Amino acid sequence: MKAIILRRKKIKFGQILLILLLGALVCFTGLPLVAMVCRALMSTEELYIYPPRIICHNPTMQNFSDLLTSLNASVVPFTRYVFNSIFTTVVTVVLSILVCSLGAYGLTKHKPAGADAIFAVVLAALMFSTHVTQIPNYLVVNKLGLVNSYLALIIPKIAVAYNFFLVKQFCEQLPDSILEAARIDGCSELGIFWKIAMPLLKPAWSTLAVFSFVNNWNDYFSPLIFIRSDALKTLPLALQTLAGGAGVVARAGTVGAATLITTLPAIIVFAIFRGKVMETMTYSGIKS
Amino acid sequence: MKGRKLHMTINRRRGIEAFIFLFPWLIGICLFFIYPIFVSVRLSFSEITKFKGFIMEWVGLSNYNYIFLYDTKFVPTFLQVMADTLLNTPISLVFSLLIAILINRPMKARGFFRTVFFIPVLLGSGYVMKQLLGMGADTTSITQGIMVPEQMLDLLGPTFSPIVQSVLDRITIVFWKSGVQIVLFLAGLQGISSSLYEAAKVDGATQWEMFWKITLPLISPVILLNFVYTMVSFFTDSNNALVDYIVTQIFTNQQFEYGAAMSWVYFIFSFTICMVVIAILRKRTYNMGDRA
Repeated sequence: MKAIILRRKKIKFGQILLILLLGALVCFTGLPLVAMVCRALMSTEELYIYPPRIICHNPTMQNFSDLLTSLNASVVPFTRYVFNSIFTTVVTVVLSILVCSLGAYGLTKHKPAGADAIFAVVLAALMFSTHVTQIPNYLVVNKLGLVNSYLALIIPKIAVAYNFFLVKQFCEQLPDSILEAARIDGCSELGIFWKIAMPLLKPAWSTLAVFSFVNNWNDYFSPLIFIRSDALKTLPLALQTLAGGAGVVARAGTVGAATLITTLPAIIVFAIFRGKVMETMTYSGIKS
Repeated sequence: MKGRKLHMTINRRRGIEAFIFLFPWLIGICLFFIYPIFVSVRLSFSEITKFKGFIMEWVGLSNYNYIFLYDTKFVPTFLQVMADTLLNTPISLVFSLLIAILINRPMKARGFFRTVFFIPVLLGSGYVMKQLLGMGADTTSITQGIMVPEQMLDLLGPTFSPIVQSVLDRITIVFWKSGVQIVLFLAGLQGISSSLYEAAKVDGATQWEMFWKITLPLISPVILLNFVYTMVSFFTDSNNALVDYIVTQIFTNQQFEYGAAMSWVYFIFSFTICMVVIAILRKRTYNMGDRA
């Protein structure tokens, strides 16, 4: 009896140690995040105190109001950047999910001639880093007459190899019998895709939604190339303009606030789809 | 006969349907991946004679010659990036495997820990990340500011403190890049049947022995996958010094042809390294046969 109690105590002690250890590691990864939030809340004087502080002692909302008012006074209001980012990202994500799911479903469940070749292209595309094709991409966009428009930020990022790959891994697990049953019941092919395949693929595309959102949201490279006018810039690019240029020292707090605002949406989207993402990562990891 | 004919038409119908399904995606991938790849190869062997209309002239290997014979910055940066990647990847793997094993144990707040370690992934490698890692010209480095108090650095003296700083800097970057790897390892760990551990325990194996004899061999395929994933993500990271150099050459200095040539050299080398690593590690991974 005593031995059992002792044993249980030992386990509990181990648990506490484990949680403490993990807690320390969380601090390690989490501190930059905390620092980011604090920087956004610090006043300019506090930002330049020596030695530098991580945790802010008297938080103010001054930076946020600065961000809204001072930038409102310039040609393009800050809210416009927020709108640009949200609009282009959401449209890209939705279209990308639709196009990639359609394609991946067609490839796995209808098996056209040359399916293997198409899949080989997808795998090759996964290995390529985007900067290799950046210049020709610009040429294509230029030829299509899309430079300096929202479409330039949306269209090149719809057919993405990674998204296709992820959905395809999941399509393979769809049982043919369900699709066959629907076909016998007289459902059209598009109807089968929309009413049966898509709901079953929900874990796959909700993960895609998160990854695609994060990537597109944080991408400052393509707006940098494709966008010329200030009114069409997205948040990350606007942030870069804000952080560079004249008067940086005075604006450090504002930059902090802008950084925080730029980071938040990705975290919110993740919070919404959290469970599904973890599930999908687990599956696709084993299969690939 | 009739049956066979019907079968064929169904097959053909399927093919056409598949094509319709794939159509939008195929257009996209042709326009923004396959065509650009060809143009980029062509570009790297040419010189642009006229920017208007983008007229190119074939110059053979001269762009490539320039990289290795004249450019004083490419080769050192390249070597440094390679060294960094080869150093960071194992650190990242050991760290993420450790974390994965820890959060795979039954305990309180497991979901919380799993989420927290994944959050850095969300910040991506974009400009925000750059800001956070203090690589922006004007921000005080957060990684440096936080980890070591000034007094401690003073104690260490001028020879050791830069070393400590750079090690800590590297660790923070690695920690921040391990989110996906942790999840993949978790998946691998959960795929190991618990009966193996029970059997080992009955036979009197210690935790330590079980790790080396059961866990490690069984997750070796995941280690391979993670190794490649980590290397590719370090290679293609936009905070990477070489990528930064290429991008500057292309978009600031307008050296399109030269940039294309550099990208291809970089890509071919990093691809080869990945392949070599795969070839080496694949021999050592334990194959479960029927499990896979």
